[in-house]
Amino acid sequence: MSNLASKSMRVVKNYAKAKVREATSNDPWGPSGTQMNELAQLTYNQNDFVEIMEMLDKRLNDKGKNWRHVFKSLTLLDYLLHAGSENVVYYFKDNAYIIKTLKEFQHVDDDGRDQGANVRQKAKDISNLLADDMRLRDQRKNRA
Amino acid sequence: MSRVRQRGYDFENEYPDNAAGGFHQPSRPVDRDKAESELALNIKKATNTDETAPKQKHVRKCIVYTWDYHSSQSIWSGLRVQPIMSDEVQTYKALIVVHKIIQEGHPITLKEVQQHVGWLDTCSRTVGNFGLGYAPLIQAYVQFIMSKLRFHRHHPEFNGLFEYAEYITLKGVDDPNEGYETVADLMNLQDGIDSFQRLVFMHLRGISNNECRISSLVPLVKESYGIYRFITSMLRAMHRRVDNADEVLQPLVQRYNGQHHQLRKFYYECSNLKYLTSLINVPK
Ligand SMILES: CCCCC/C=C/C/C=C/C/C=C\C/C=C\CCCC(=O)O[C@H](COC(=O)CCCCCCCCCCCCCCCCC)COP(=O)(O)O[C@@H]1[C@H](O)[C@H](O)[C@@H](OP(=O)(O)O)[C@H](OP(=O)(O)O)[C@H]1O
Repeated sequence: MSNLASKSMRVVKNYAKAKVREATSNDPWGPSGTQMNELAQLTYNQNDFVEIMEMLDKRLNDKGKNWRHVFKSLTLLDYLLHAGSENVVYYFKDNAYIIKTLKEFQHVDDDGRDQGANVRQKAKDISNLLADDMRLRDQRKNRA
Repeated sequence: MSRVRQRGYDFENEYPDNAAGGFHQPSRPVDRDKAESELALNIKKATNTDETAPKQKHVRKCIVYTWDYHSSQSIWSGLRVQPIMSDEVQTYKALIVVHKIIQEGHPITLKEVQQHVGWLDTCSRTVGNFGLGYAPLIQAYVQFIMSKLRFHRHHPEFNGLFEYAEYITLKGVDDPNEGYETVADLMNLQDGIDSFQRLVFMHLRGISNNECRISSLVPLVKESYGIYRFITSMLRAMHRRVDNADEVLQPLVQRYNGQHHQLRKFYYECSNLKYLTSLINVPK
């Protein structure tokens, strides 16, 4: 009985995680506005917030070959910083170095194309945003 | 404020280095044991014998480690177990790695590196002539890093990349004398960068593989630009505050103009190196 309860809990528990995984997969498209919006709402729930941060952390630190994971995670993070719970802002101010150190991200694919440029640019933009309390506050307010 | 919790971990006993200074528990979901073993591997990969740039992903892992645990001691033990002195490419790559880590690592890194100047010194002494011509570069690089460390010992208010925003919050520039001295010290360091970068360019050869040498210019571009912006703002501020500023500041301003010219030349030369321009925005 308690087993069953904890089992169903687990299904619920991994929902947000799965959503991040889906939104930041290696598919060439996305993440979609709908996906990002749902995740932004989920960050207001404490358990979901923790799951989302864990999955984002994993994705942001993925290897070069999975550069799409990294790029799409930055895209998602940008959205969450604007439309997600304030906790997202606190968490990533605390861990700003994770983003800052992506400013030199590199990955040259098998065809010799530099797939790192987009990641580098986005990392720069988000780092600047995280360092600018005023701008971040204004942009969050305009969203709300 | 809520955080992602660390998986319950008792590292006070296992990692005495941190316990001493009040250990830091990252809010990221990371595991210390795993981090330690990955760190060792990343140091090994970043300082291997391939004559290439140290891969940024490996350097990044080291930098992130220092922020996660507010400690860099494991990096030093990691470097010491590698046969770094036995190969000139390895030595040079290790210096690039150290330079980048003290630039971008947690501020504690800049303090802790002061305990390891002996290791740096050994780097410059041990290097023999192995044939690829890194010996003079290694010696000059060590010399530059040493002067950087001396600077930071005297001016602990600066971070490793001379980021202005970080400084202002720490300390105002109100005492003109102190300001004058600080600017002069910054200029000495800037001269150090300039002579080292020129040596690097002298050692670039059309035929051979240059990536490793070129990659050492990346932290130099960033650092020189940080210093430049700093000097510029400080001189402006002092100009407003000091009586008969034109006269008093004249020697500094003259030197500033000379450095400005050198920097433009440096950045122009860098802008012709594809490796650099694809990786960082070289200032104009
Ligand atoms: C007569 C009969 C004939 C029969 C024939 C039969 C034949 C049978 C044949 C079979 C073949 C079978 C299978 C092949 C199976 C899988 C193919 C591999 C798929 C594949 O590409 O996987 C590689 C991993 O592979 C390896 O590491 C290494 C994989 C090595 C695979 C080696 C396979 C070796 C096979 C040997 C076979 C040997 C066969 C021997 C046969 C003997 C016969 C007698 C890539 O996976 P990855 O881990 O690098 O990257 C993934 C990937 O990018 C995903 O897209 C990504 O997910 P999303 O972005 O979310 O979509 C993942 O991210 P997360 O996990 O973070 O979400 C990534 O982690």
